[in-house]
Amino acid sequence: VSDVFIEETLRKWLDAHYDPVAGLYTFSSCVDLADLSGDGESRLVVGDLGSGSSGMKLKVYRGTALMSESTLLDLPAGLVAFFMDLHEPRIPAVAVASGPCVYVYKNLRPYFKFTLPGLEVNSLEQDVWQQAREGQIDPLTLKEMLEGVRKKADIPLSVRSLRFLSLETSDMDEFVQLHKQQPIRRQTVITCIGTLKKSTADEDGVSCLVIGTESSDVYVLDPEAFIILSKMSLPAAPTMMDVTGQFDVEFRITAACRNGNIYILRRESDKPKYCIELSSHPVGLVRVGKNVVVGCTDESLQGFTQKGKKLWRTILPAPITTMAAMDLPTRGFQAVLVGLANCEVQLYRDKNLLSTIKTPDVVTSICFGRYGREDGTLIMTTKGGGLIVKILKRTAAFDDKDSAPGPPLAQSVRLNVPKKTKLYVDQTLRERENGLAMHRAFQMDLSRLRLAAAKAYVKALESSLTPMSSSLTEPLKMNAVVQGLGPSFKLTLNVQNTAACRPVMNLAISFLYDESLYRMRNPYMKIPLLVPGLIYPVETFVECTSDKGISDIIKVFILHEGKSSPLLTAHINMPVSEGLTLN
Amino acid sequence: MEVTMDPLFLAWSYFRRRKLQQCSDICTKILQENPYDQDPSLFISEAAWSLKTRALTEMVYIDEVEVDQEGIAEMMLDESSIAQVARPGTSLRLPGTSQGGGPTPAVRPMTQSGRPITGFVRPSTQSGRPGTMEQAIKTPRTASTARPVTSASGRFIRLGTASMLTNPDGPFINLSRLNLAKYSQKPNLSRTLFEYIFHHENDVKNALDLAAQATEHAQFKDWWWKVQLGKCYYRLGLYREAEKQFRSALNHQEVVDTYLYLAKVYQRLDQPITALNLFKQGLDHFPGEVTLLTGIARIHEEMNNISSATEYYKDVLKQDNTHVEAIACIGSNHFYTDQPEIALRFYRRLLQMGVYNCQLYSNLGLCCFYAQQYDMTLSSFERALVLVDNDEEQADVCLLYPNVSYNGIGDLTLAYQCFKLALAFNNDHAEAYNNLAVLELRKGRIEQSKAFLQTAASLAPHMYEPHFNLSILSEKIGDLQSSYTAAQKSEDAFPEHVDTQQLLKQLRQHFAVL
Repeated sequence: VSDVFIEETLRKWLDAHYDPVAGLYTFSSCVDLADLSGDGESRLVVGDLGSGSSGMKLKVYRGTALMSESTLLDLPAGLVAFFMDLHEPRIPAVAVASGPCVYVYKNLRPYFKFTLPGLEVNSLEQDVWQQAREGQIDPLTLKEMLEGVRKKADIPLSVRSLRFLSLETSDMDEFVQLHKQQPIRRQTVITCIGTLKKSTADEDGVSCLVIGTESSDVYVLDPEAFIILSKMSLPAAPTMMDVTGQFDVEFRITAACRNGNIYILRRESDKPKYCIELSSHPVGLVRVGKNVVVGCTDESLQGFTQKGKKLWRTILPAPITTMAAMDLPTRGFQAVLVGLANCEVQLYRDKNLLSTIKTPDVVTSICFGRYGREDGTLIMTTKGGGLIVKILKRTAAFDDKDSAPGPPLAQSVRLNVPKKTKLYVDQTLRERENGLAMHRAFQMDLSRLRLAAAKAYVKALESSLTPMSSSLTEPLKMNAVVQGLGPSFKLTLNVQNTAACRPVMNLAISFLYDESLYRMRNPYMKIPLLVPGLIYPVETFVECTSDKGISDIIKVFILHEGKSSPLLTAHINMPVSEGLTLN
Repeated sequence: MEVTMDPLFLAWSYFRRRKLQQCSDICTKILQENPYDQDPSLFISEAAWSLKTRALTEMVYIDEVEVDQEGIAEMMLDESSIAQVARPGTSLRLPGTSQGGGPTPAVRPMTQSGRPITGFVRPSTQSGRPGTMEQAIKTPRTASTARPVTSASGRFIRLGTASMLTNPDGPFINLSRLNLAKYSQKPNLSRTLFEYIFHHENDVKNALDLAAQATEHAQFKDWWWKVQLGKCYYRLGLYREAEKQFRSALNHQEVVDTYLYLAKVYQRLDQPITALNLFKQGLDHFPGEVTLLTGIARIHEEMNNISSATEYYKDVLKQDNTHVEAIACIGSNHFYTDQPEIALRFYRRLLQMGVYNCQLYSNLGLCCFYAQQYDMTLSSFERALVLVDNDEEQADVCLLYPNVSYNGIGDLTLAYQCFKLALAFNNDHAEAYNNLAVLELRKGRIEQSKAFLQTAASLAPHMYEPHFNLSILSEKIGDLQSSYTAAQKSEDAFPEHVDTQQLLKQLRQHFAVL
C-alpha cells in the first residue's frame, strides 16, 4: 500500500526541499506566505514557538534558506501578513499576536504594538488589596478574603490575585510587599487572529485585523490608526477563526469556540447569528468556497453550509494534527489539506479523498500558496522541527473518486469452520442410543463431585486455607511473590482490603516454616491500617540455610489481634536456592 | 566348591544390567586390591577403573541433546543477538510472529512468552524469554515449570553435589591431581575419563583441556573428540567455537547427534531458519530420522507456526508410532482447533501406551466433555485428582470442574467453590483469580471482583483476559480512564483481539464526544 502512496505522491508533487533539522516548531496559525520585499517573490514567515518557554522567534525563509530571524517576547498565538496602507511599493506588514498584544512588523522591523484594552476589575478585590496596601490586614486574612471574593463575585479575579492564592504561606508576605503598590489590572490574551479586507476585495487591498480573545470577544482593528472599529462578543472563547468579506460592505466571521460550538458572526449584529453544535471538539476550521470544513477530535471531518447546516461527515484514519485550505485560483481548484497523526497528509474535496501524501514525521503545520515564484507550493513543518516544501506539478490532476464501494470486504471472507468428522458423527450416534445411561452416569458423578467439592470447601473455610477471607468484617485478599535466586529471597505479600469503604485494623502476619531450612528476618509483622482498595506490599527476607538443593513450603497467616485462628492462609512454594551461603 | 565369577566380568554384567551401584562397588574393591597393574599386558585395574568411571557417569547421565535450559544470564545479557527487533519469522525470541494457521490466543491459551501452550512440556517451552529482569527473577520457579536458572549453578551443580553425597570418602578421581596429558594419550581411557569429568564432575574446564589434548593426539581427525569439544564450548557459552567444532565433526562423519547439537547451537544463537535448514540437511542423510523430525516440529511450534509443526509431528508418527511428544502435540492441536473427538483418540492412544498421569486424565476428561461424551468426563477428572502429586496440579484439576459446572450446567456455586479451592492449593493461579472475579462480578461484588482482576493481571501480565475483564468492569462502573489503560494492556497482550479493539474504539469515541 505504501508503495502506491509514494508513487502517487511522486506523480503529483515535486520534492523541493526537506530539512529534518530546521528547528521550526510551529502550528498552522503561525505560518504565512507574503511578498515582504515587493520584488514579486513570496517569503515564508513563521512564528517559531521554540521550546515553548524560550527561543520564540520570528523567522523568514527565502527559498531554502533562512533569511532573517528576530526574537519574540512571548509565545506567538497567531501570525498574519496584511496590507495596512496604500503606499507603493505594496509591501505587507506582519502582525504577530502574543499575550495581550499585537506586534506589527514592517520591513521586518518592529513598527507598532497594540495592546488590548483592560477588563473591568472586581471592586471588592480592589478594596481588599487597598486594605493590604495600607497594612490593615496580614497576608493570611488577605488570602481568606480573596477566596471569599473568588467564590461569590461574577467578575473573576485578576491574575495577580490568582497567583497569590496559589502561593505557599511562606512566600506570601514577600509577594504582597512586592506587588501591593501597583494598581490591579485585569488583562485578557489573544487566542486567534485573522484579516478582513477593509473596503475592496482586491488581492492587495487594505485589511483590518480581526482578533479573538480569551474573554470571548472579537475585535476588528483599523489598520492605520489601530483603533477598535467593532467589538463583538461570543458565548465562549474562540480558538480558531475564519474571516471573509469586506468590513465596509458585508462580512462573516466563523469562530470555533472552546465549548465545542462554532458561531457565525455577521456585520449587522454584535452577537452570533448562527451556531453549529458539534459532537466533539473542533481542531481545525477551513473555509472552502461558501462552505466550512471542520475537523474534530473524534477523527472526523465535517462539512457545513455558511448558515450552519450540516452537509456531510467522513471518518479519518487517525487523529487530526492540523488543517489548511488548498486554493489554486488559476485552476479553480479548492480543497482541504488534513495533517494526520499517522504521518500522512490527506487532501479532501468535500468528503472525497483525492490524494494522500506520506510524510517522514507527523505534520504540525501546513500552508499552501505562492512561495518564491511558484504558485502551488505546499509548506509543512513537522513535530520534530523539520521543514518540508513540495511543489504541485503542473500536470497533476486530482480526480474525484467517490468512495462508496459495495458490500464490505469482510462479507466475502469465508469462515474457517472445521468439518464435522466421521468420528463425531459416530459419537453422536452413541449419544443418541445411550442417552439415558450417559445422563445417569453424569448426574451421579456430578452429585459425588458436588459433595466432594463442598466437603473440601468447608474444610478450607474452617481452617481459612484460602488466600482471601470472606468474613463480612474483614474481607481481605493476599498474594505472595518470591523474588531472588537464593540463598536470600525477598518475600512480598500483597495484602488488600476488598471492602467497599471500611478500613481494617489490628492485623498481624505470622509465618510457619521449617526452621532447619529457612531463616526469616522477622517472622512476625504488624500490618498497618488497611484502606479499602489499595494494595499494601509487606516485605520480608528469607534465608535458605540448607545447601542440599531442596525446598519447602512456607505458610503465611494473617491473624487478627486477640484471635488464635487465622483470617487467611497462603502457602508459598519456595524455589530451590541456587546460590550457596558463604560461611 | 563354590565357583566364583571373575569379579571384573561380574561388574561388567552388573553394568549391563544397569545395577550401577553394585558395579561401582566391585570395581572399587578390585582397585583397592591392586591399585596398579602388575602385569602390564593384562590391564585389569585399568579396565576396572574405566568401568567404574562409566558406572558413575551413567548414574547421573542426562542426554545432552534434549536438555536445554537457558540461564537468566543468557536471557537477560544476550550479546549474540544482532538486531534488537528481529524480522518477523526469523527469531524465536519475538513472540507473536505468527505466520497464521494456528488458533488465536482467544482459543488457545498463551504462555508467558506469547506462544501457544504446547501439548508436551519440555524445557524452555513454558517460560520463554522474560521481558524484564524483574519478570525473570519472579517467574514461577518450581520444579514442575521450566524456569530460568543461573547457568553456572542450577541443575548441573546439584548433580555434582548429589554425587559427592554418595561418596563419603571424597571424589573417586581427584581432578586437580590428574595428569590430563598422560590420559589423553590413551584413547581407551580418555573417553570414559572425559565423560566422567563432563557429566559426573561437571567440570567443563578440565573436560575441555582433556578434549583439546586428545583431539590433538588424534591429529584432529577424530570426530568424536570434536563433538566433545563442541559440547564443552556450548556449555561455556562459546557458541561460535562450538559451531566450528560441530561443523568440522560433521565433515568427518555424519552423525545424528552432531546434527542435533549443532541445531541446538543455532537455536541458542536465535537462528531458527539456519537450524531448520540444518535439520533438513540431516534428513537427507538420515531419511525419516525421528529426532531430526521432532526438532523441526519443535522449531515450527516455537515460532507459532502450528500447522506445519503438526505436519512434522505427523511425519514423526509415521516413523515411530509410539512417540509420546508427537501424539500429545497433535492431540492438543486438534483439541484447540475444535475437534475434541479426534484429540480424544490421540489421548486414548497415550493411555494405551502406558502414560498414566494426572495431566493425561485431565485432558481426556476435557475432550470427553467437549465431544459430548458426558458419562466419561467426571470419572476422568476423578482419576486425575487421584493421580495428583503436588498442590499445583491439584489446583489445575480443581480448575477443570468449573469448566464443566459453569459452561455445561450453569452451577455457579460449584464453580465458585472450585475456584476458591484452586486458589487454596495454589495462591498464584492467575486463571482462577480471573474467573473468580467474573463470578464475583455476577454476584454484584464489584470491589472484590476488581481486586481479583488486579491480582490476576499482576500475576500473569501475559494474559489478556484479566486486563480485558478489568477494562469492561471499569467501563461499566464509569471509570473510563482505568478502563482505557486496562484495554491498552489487553491490546498489548493480544493485539488481534476484536472485543478489545471494539472497546478501545468505543472508549476513544467516548473521550472525543463532548
